[in-house]
Amino acid sequence: MISLPSFLAISFILFVSGLVVMIAKKNIIAILLGVELILNSAALNFAAYTRFVNQNLDGHIMSLFIIIIAAAEAAVGLAIVIRFFQIRESIHIDDATQLLQ
Amino acid sequence: MNLSYLASLSHYVPELMAVLTMVMLVFIESSYGRNDKKRSFFYFGTFIGLGFVLLSLFDSYNDHSTAIFTGSMVIDPFSSLVKIILVVGTMASIYLAKESKDIYGHLKPEFAIMSIGVLIGGMILCSANNFLMLYIGIETLSILSYVLASFKKNDEMSSEAGLKYSLYGGVSAGVMLFGMSHIFGVLGTIQFSGVSARLLELPTTDIVILLPAFLMFFAGVGYKIAAVPFHMWAPDVYEGSPIPVTTFFSIVPKVAGIAVLVRVSMIFFGSPGALQVTWVGILSVVAALTMTVGNVSAIGQKSVKRMLAYSSISHAGVMMLGVLVINELGVQSVLFYAVTYLFMTLVAFYIVTFVSDKYGNDHFDRFRGLIVRYPLMTVIMAMVMFSLAGVPPLSGFVAKFNIFGALVSKKYYTLAVIAGINSVVSLYYYLKLVRLMIFKEQESNEVIVGFGTANQTLIVAMAIPVLMLGIFWSKLMELTDGAVLFIAP
Repeated sequence: MISLPSFLAISFILFVSGLVVMIAKKNIIAILLGVELILNSAALNFAAYTRFVNQNLDGHIMSLFIIIIAAAEAAVGLAIVIRFFQIRESIHIDDATQLLQ
Repeated sequence: MNLSYLASLSHYVPELMAVLTMVMLVFIESSYGRNDKKRSFFYFGTFIGLGFVLLSLFDSYNDHSTAIFTGSMVIDPFSSLVKIILVVGTMASIYLAKESKDIYGHLKPEFAIMSIGVLIGGMILCSANNFLMLYIGIETLSILSYVLASFKKNDEMSSEAGLKYSLYGGVSAGVMLFGMSHIFGVLGTIQFSGVSARLLELPTTDIVILLPAFLMFFAGVGYKIAAVPFHMWAPDVYEGSPIPVTTFFSIVPKVAGIAVLVRVSMIFFGSPGALQVTWVGILSVVAALTMTVGNVSAIGQKSVKRMLAYSSISHAGVMMLGVLVINELGVQSVLFYAVTYLFMTLVAFYIVTFVSDKYGNDHFDRFRGLIVRYPLMTVIMAMVMFSLAGVPPLSGFVAKFNIFGALVSKKYYTLAVIAGINSVVSLYYYLKLVRLMIFKEQESNEVIVGFGTANQTLIVAMAIPVLMLGIFWSKLMELTDGAVLFIAP
């Protein structure tokens, strides 16, 4: 039987790897993937807590909404990345320096 | 069950009307040809729709507070007043976008539609009574804001602003959710109702888990109001976006974020204990830093828009001072501050927009000698600058005074002193603009097209509250006194 701490450990690993991807990667698409990792770690946490600690459906509904809204956010994020790529012809985060005067 | 949902809908008329307006505008917009520049019926529909939202908010203002939709949202005078501020801010921004040259003509209707979307997010946010609604509100607010930030499609700076906003925003939302999930794990529910009683019975180990969880949760809300460790996006986004969008960003998401911070503080940290001490500690440090960093960065700016952006960061810090008092007095002072902040920001941004439309940029030098050509506008701009700095007898002074009163009532003297020093520092860069406008030779004597009769009248109308609320503040004080925050049992 897998217990709650192992779920929490996995989600924590996901969360930290998401943050590391955010900081270490220079590719904007990879950064978006890092954001998804962080969101999924939260969704996993909600599902795990619902399963093991309390039996109401709150956590499941939260997880569902996280998945839905993450999709919307990714769609808008990708659209902006495409726009940026069309203008700068690069998806390297170091090229986004126009505003740092 | 179904009946109670229908009954809930009757308390939810303003939001429903905002949604209807948004949908209606999409249809009206699609009926226009690409070359029809005026779109008078579109703007007629926008302002009529938002006017009805405003009317229904006023109408339901004095209804007694209830929790609706099985406790997931709360309708109380506090949320109604915040919603009124948000609607007025949105209407003024849409009008500014209509007049401004900073947004491409065929994108102006899109600005109206999307800013109403952000408004709906803000309305959900300030009456959210569980973590799910809070998250949905923040994301509705954010996702549309990302699009608004990258509104000048072919402009490098604008798309970069949108990119930065969405990347930082995604991470902060993720961190906030991670914090929420642990709060949910400890409390066993996402509802805010009945949580304060449960917090009192928690064992110490659970409280130890809650503290970092709330810190992470604060990252998400602090990001929306540009509180200091999470403010990195704000100057870039404010600089890169068109000015009407900047106006919109410095009012609607900020006030909505402050409102949700007030509600969360009152519900989770209303009773004294280790949790409250830590939360107040975090908020004090963040508020002091926000004010100071905002002000110090504003000093060296060349562009008036960027200066106003930094100053709006420091104003968010001042509003957070009212939040961390965590009592009725604090809530009231925050609301008062938000109302005056709305009018001061609108007037300042209106004038900057029209000047910048004429010259193509908004450097301080463009304001030289404005008094010769537009004495009325210059006097109003100077008045608003003094009010933003908090000089009596203007409304900004009364608002700051209220916040200080709330701080002193809880004996937070250090914070009051820091806020006072910041107010003096801010006087420097506000007065720099006033000095340029009044005492310098003008660069040119071209006519600024934006200052037509209609626009000047509107600016004067919005400037009247800045002056009047500084002298006759008792009416607004009564209003904010009555705007009680309702904590559903």
